[in-house]
Amino acid sequence: MWLNTMDDLIKLVRTYRFAAGLSERIRLAEDIFRLIEPDLRLFVFSKISNDSAQDALQEVLKAVATSLKQFKGNTEKEFWAWCYRISRNKLSDHYRQQYAERVQPVAPEELWRMMELTAQDAPITAQTRHDLDYAIKLLTASKPECYDLLWNHYVIGLDYAELAEERNQNYDAVRMKIGRCLDEAKSLVS
Amino acid sequence: MAELPQKEQLALHEFSVRYRAALTNEHGTPEQSLDTVRDAVREQYEQERADQRSQPIQPPSQSKEREPDAPEA
Repeated sequence: MWLNTMDDLIKLVRTYRFAAGLSERIRLAEDIFRLIEPDLRLFVFSKISNDSAQDALQEVLKAVATSLKQFKGNTEKEFWAWCYRISRNKLSDHYRQQYAERVQPVAPEELWRMMELTAQDAPITAQTRHDLDYAIKLLTASKPECYDLLWNHYVIGLDYAELAEERNQNYDAVRMKIGRCLDEAKSLVS
Repeated sequence: MAELPQKEQLALHEFSVRYRAALTNEHGTPEQSLDTVRDAVREQYEQERADQRSQPIQPPSQSKEREPDAPEA
């Protein structure tokens, strides 16, 4: 079986742009969304509280799928920035209240529960447990604003430019803020 | 991502990978998500076809080269 990887993502997206028939479009869209759904899920579930998150995710997926033919970029980075822009707009328009209320920092116990869920597929060695413990402490020791920034950057993987756009701030301000937040978290943990 | 000391980089990366996996595990296979995507693609396809059908037939262009017929004498 041929498995798609992230390297194939932009090829699939570019092929979709020129796909004419419905069955071809559906096949390509399935391949594309199998790759991007987990990341969009993480993004939405990090922005909206669980009660509304599942519905919000479906709205985001629908919006991205509907606009897929209009994506004009040629790189994976451009594609992700485009996906997150659509997601942000959709959440802001339709889930304004929940979006504004930003999800509260998750308790360490809950983060550990999530880690344990992965133990069956990828056993947690003593060294890994030590690393995860450190990561969880870094994240949860932070003040809410820093938690939000560190989570978006290091867990979701949003880059400085994407975070600057999301927060309507400039690139350097976001970069320096993340640096300060990390330093602060490290000092609180050690 | 920022240039982090190796320790922080490794720890946060490991956490990120596992958190994604846990989220996917917890919410099951994304069949609901794929259904949503299929419906959206179908809807978009039908919309495009409807738009094409509803485009008015273009009237013949009035070419400058073609002069009106001279009135019959």
